[in-house]
Amino acid sequence: MKIAPPSVWRIKDSLYNLIAAKCEDCGNITFPYQQICSKCGSTNVKSIKLSGEGTLIDYTVSYQAREGFEKVLPMYVGIIRLDEGFTIVAPLTDVNESNIKEGIRVKATLRKLRSDSSNGLIVYGVKFRPAEGQ
Amino acid sequence: MMVEVRVVGSSMYKIDRHYNLGLRDLAVAVVQELKSKLKEFVKPDVVLVANAYGEAVNHQLVLAGKLATYLGLTSTALRVEAGDGSGGSAIFTAYSLLKAGIAKTALILGVEKLSDYPSKYLNEALSYNLDEEYSYQSGLVPHVYAALLMKAYMKKYNVDYSYFANWSIAMHSNAVENPYAYLRFPANMNAIISSQVIAEPLRLFDIGARGDGAAAVYLATDEISSKISDEYSKIEYVTGSSSDIDFVPGLPAVRSIGLEAKDLLKQAELAEIHDSYSIMAALQLEELGLAEYGKSLKSLDSLIPINYSGGLKARGYPGGATGVYQLAEVHQQLVGEFKGKRVSGAERGFVLSTDDLSRSAYLVYVRR
Ligand SMILES: [Zn+2]
Repeated sequence: MKIAPPSVWRIKDSLYNLIAAKCEDCGNITFPYQQICSKCGSTNVKSIKLSGEGTLIDYTVSYQAREGFEKVLPMYVGIIRLDEGFTIVAPLTDVNESNIKEGIRVKATLRKLRSDSSNGLIVYGVKFRPAEGQ
Repeated sequence: MMVEVRVVGSSMYKIDRHYNLGLRDLAVAVVQELKSKLKEFVKPDVVLVANAYGEAVNHQLVLAGKLATYLGLTSTALRVEAGDGSGGSAIFTAYSLLKAGIAKTALILGVEKLSDYPSKYLNEALSYNLDEEYSYQSGLVPHVYAALLMKAYMKKYNVDYSYFANWSIAMHSNAVENPYAYLRFPANMNAIISSQVIAEPLRLFDIGARGDGAAAVYLATDEISSKISDEYSKIEYVTGSSSDIDFVPGLPAVRSIGLEAKDLLKQAELAEIHDSYSIMAALQLEELGLAEYGKSLKSLDSLIPINYSGGLKARGYPGGATGVYQLAEVHQQLVGEFKGKRVSGAERGFVLSTDDLSRSAYLVYVRR
């Protein structure tokens, strides 16, 4: 899979920093950041950095991968309710059958997502892992 | 005077893994069949191609113009893309052009080739359905969203996996009678609940069977329709809506169509919906107001006839061409020429065409 450096660089706020948009009019949060609120159409939107801390609402274990992601199989994916009140669907890491459970606290962590075999470029991004003490 | 938009002809190609046929071959086959059914094939003013994965899988652009040329037509040609809802969006566009008086005739051609590559490559193309910045980059595939919706539904309504198996059983049973269906065999509870897990709790039998196919529908205004065919149904209403899914669970785009077209939907006597996953069938039936929340797949027998084609589950799921199949099926039911399981005497039916996860939804309401 070919990866173009600019295409990854320009979305670093979404991939590495969990920068979201909070609507000042209706309170709706959207991630990735966008200039217009999807819920009410307001442009009175400010960017916020999500804490990356939240609760695992539910999860699935996927046994089918895309090209370039074969190594992460089986892939754990969760619905996470972040402490800001926003729900995100994201890959989970450092989990297995014995330490994953609905309701556990999880925390964002930067991990390798995939690499380009032709030029060695590696894409990193946020995944979620169980918080300390879980 | 109000223009009436009529469906004057339709044709379908059996969905399958057609290793020997490309997009062009499928298009020609289905248009030739359509021509053979019409009194006169009037050169369409516009050709609308419904195709989702042409560049991702078949490395093709300008598909509509090329197919029109290949079909010997010099008409204005447009490809309309809304992922797996491309069919609905192409029908919406054709209807609008006829209503507006820009065209009097339109050929809607749905065509898709999905079976050339193994699933990990196809999954790459399917993940283009997700948001670019995070979901796509982080390696997710649409299946996991369906699995998470399913889990949320199971919790909220306290149902177990067998609830979803009801859908597969019904769809396979319908497809047995449809000569154009991909999976023409019955499925029993045992086979379904022990089928391969794709993303817990989603199993192979919960997923629409993607395959190669083509379907064509010819639309004409009332002014010219009798020249082309004596038999017709009319498109009475079209609408659409866009919104992200929520894990309540719900499909706000479909809900908004359900509210907008409430009175028409109540009168419908048959429907073809977009069951890309069994959970989508449940949510769509409920959001459209056809079934009670949390009970749709337990009460299929008490609903109007749904997906007598076999649905995406068993008729097959030819990507962006799906909506064109659905319109062909509803039209053929209404004029009494459908070759599969029939709904006799029905006068009103509809198509719900959406993308894989029902974030872009289109309703096409058809009347005898
Ligand atoms: Zn807002």
